[in-house]
Amino acid sequence: MGNKMTGQAAVNITAVGPPRQQTRTLQPHRKAQPKGWWGKMWQHSGPGYMFLLPWFIGFFGLTLGPAIVSLYLSFTDFDLLRSPNWVGMANYVRIATADPKFAASMAVTLFFVLFSVPLKLAFALGVAVVLNRGIRGLPVYRAVFYLPSLLGTSVAIAVLWRQLFASDGLVNSILAEFGIQGPSWISHPSYSIWTLIILSIWQFGSPMIIFLAGLRQIPTDMYEAASLDGASKLRQFIKITLPLLTPVIFFNAVVQTIDAFKAFTPAFIISGGTGGPINSTLFYTLYLYQEAFGFFRMGYASALAWVLVVIIALFTAFSFLTARFWVHYDD
Amino acid sequence: MTFSINRRTFLASGAGALALGVLNPRFAFAQDARLRLLWWGSQARSERTYKVVDLFKKAHPEIEVDGESAGWDNYWSRLATQTSGGNAPDVMQMDYRYIFEYARRDVLLPLDKYMADGTLDVSNFSTQSVAGGQINGKTYGISLGANSVAMMINKAAWEEAGMDTPQPGQTWEEFADHCEKLTKTTKRDRFYGCADQGGLEPAFETWLRQRGKELYSAEGKLGFDDKDAGEWFAFWVDMRKRGACVPADVQSLDQLTIETSPLSQRRAASCFAHSNQLVGYQAINKDPLTMGPYPVKAGSSRPGQYRKPSMLFSVAGDTKNPEAAAKFIGFFVNDPDAARVLDVERGVPESSKMREVLKKESSNADRIQIEYIGSLGDKFAGPLPPPPPKGAGEIQLMIKRKNEEVGFETTSPEDAGAAFVSEAAAILERS
Repeated sequence: MGNKMTGQAAVNITAVGPPRQQTRTLQPHRKAQPKGWWGKMWQHSGPGYMFLLPWFIGFFGLTLGPAIVSLYLSFTDFDLLRSPNWVGMANYVRIATADPKFAASMAVTLFFVLFSVPLKLAFALGVAVVLNRGIRGLPVYRAVFYLPSLLGTSVAIAVLWRQLFASDGLVNSILAEFGIQGPSWISHPSYSIWTLIILSIWQFGSPMIIFLAGLRQIPTDMYEAASLDGASKLRQFIKITLPLLTPVIFFNAVVQTIDAFKAFTPAFIISGGTGGPINSTLFYTLYLYQEAFGFFRMGYASALAWVLVVIIALFTAFSFLTARFWVHYDD
Repeated sequence: MTFSINRRTFLASGAGALALGVLNPRFAFAQDARLRLLWWGSQARSERTYKVVDLFKKAHPEIEVDGESAGWDNYWSRLATQTSGGNAPDVMQMDYRYIFEYARRDVLLPLDKYMADGTLDVSNFSTQSVAGGQINGKTYGISLGANSVAMMINKAAWEEAGMDTPQPGQTWEEFADHCEKLTKTTKRDRFYGCADQGGLEPAFETWLRQRGKELYSAEGKLGFDDKDAGEWFAFWVDMRKRGACVPADVQSLDQLTIETSPLSQRRAASCFAHSNQLVGYQAINKDPLTMGPYPVKAGSSRPGQYRKPSMLFSVAGDTKNPEAAAKFIGFFVNDPDAARVLDVERGVPESSKMREVLKKESSNADRIQIEYIGSLGDKFAGPLPPPPPKGAGEIQLMIKRKNEEVGFETTSPEDAGAAFVSEAAAILERS
């Protein structure tokens, strides 16, 4: 039996222990059991780890390794060309006390997170509810609405966005029909961030898919019972749909918040890497990139990256702590 | 039907992949030397560069050259990353702004040995143009062409309005009047006399030098004060107010590239740039362009512009084929066929012989550039300033931002000038 079982199941059974002994007595074993700790380990999980090897190489070589190096670099003055010198906490002290751009870029990012995440989730939920009514051709709509999520972070879309919201772009052409002369939205410090928020909302596909799956989980008999009691559609939505959907909303909110903190490409393309006009689109990640690859302050940029890690972790922890007050798990 | 990979198909595809690798010409021939070449620039530049690489390979079949190009923005991060990883390109395009930085860190190869033994011939260069690539008496870069700042002028737009194009020797005030008049008379929609160049560092530098100041001193400190910067921003406030230049929200679309400039976006009849860029500007503008020097200070103006290497070729300090690299650069700047291909896209050739070749054969637009550089003389062009200090790149971005702040009226020009000076000083201190 040990030969037939694979992956998770095999691991579970061997972890338990006794059943394996039983099967051995029931079936005449075909192979000699390896002796020793290593041999047993290898037979139980070796092939599994072999299959995981490409992932391990990627994770340790390309994610964890560089992350640890960047932690080290964040305590140095590394500038790419010369070898790094240890500067202790100097980079972190500067971030906390003497860097106006840190505060400015953090404010831009927080503004973006604060508006883009709730609006995007609301929009995604709205579309999911409409699609959940069982309209014909649902898979087609689902795919079409999901497309922007696939394309959204690409350079091409950011370039397209530039065209849409430029002074002679499509948006202004439409406004001109109503006699309104719009400004150049992407290059005006009061509006540029909103074009990025709209771009983010437009990529509502992946939370929508998850909402759709969540809506399917809600038993229809609840709605039937509610409508027999004379509850309106709106009341059903507020009293049944929303509470039962809270775990999904929570999941989406956490994932989208982390994503929003990390947003980079659209701001980079739309502002040409400057974060302009007047730093109005200087996302934290963009500032980090400028410090690292524009001005070659790798040490300082590493420190900025670790500060972002801590901030995201705090936000996530906060979400989980407050979750028990509003997320209802259907136990 | 299910899709599965059995051992045989796996092996077959593996063998196929291996065969592809063998067939790749990269591994097929064993050259005596292989060079990697990295440059920044437009599509037009890439096409010319690849053509010269082919010419070189024909002349030196024993040397293989792999070319790679990037945009200006990404170029420096790519070069720094590769250099840091011990994987620097053998031959790299270098800018006057960065050469000091790189040479100081010992990642560039001094080329004097190859210049002395004739591998890299610079005998037809002027001493001044060789000096542009020298630091502490050693040569780290070979100039690929001379340029200077220049005003790009859309000839058609000015002529349509029945006006003269901006003339050499015009003062800044006259230029402002001239632009205002164009904005008022032109038939083009939402079209202005000039781009808003208050955020353009070379324009500010020229303006400073005309007043006897400088952007950076030889010690790497700021060479101007609050008042200079404030007056500069105020000049552009006036320009915008009069409609002489484009409004702030149009200007902030300019990402300091040829393609995004208000001139190329057909919103302005003139903009400030560098002389060699006339080729790039003309390539994407349908209207015929010409160029002239920047305006000058009223009264007695010192020469604000200067002739400089538009870009240089440097060799990596750890290259395995220094000889081949030197040979390639020598070919690039001395071969008549290469000169014909390269033309003046990287600036006017430094070799007097190549200039003769181009003068005889080049088209009208290219002759404009050769004549322009020749015509600057002592009236417009002064001495080459020392290489800018570390942090200059960050300050260059900041002047753009300060001009935007003034443009969108979030601050006054005087305050912006003071803030610019104090923030720039802080950047220099930190670097």
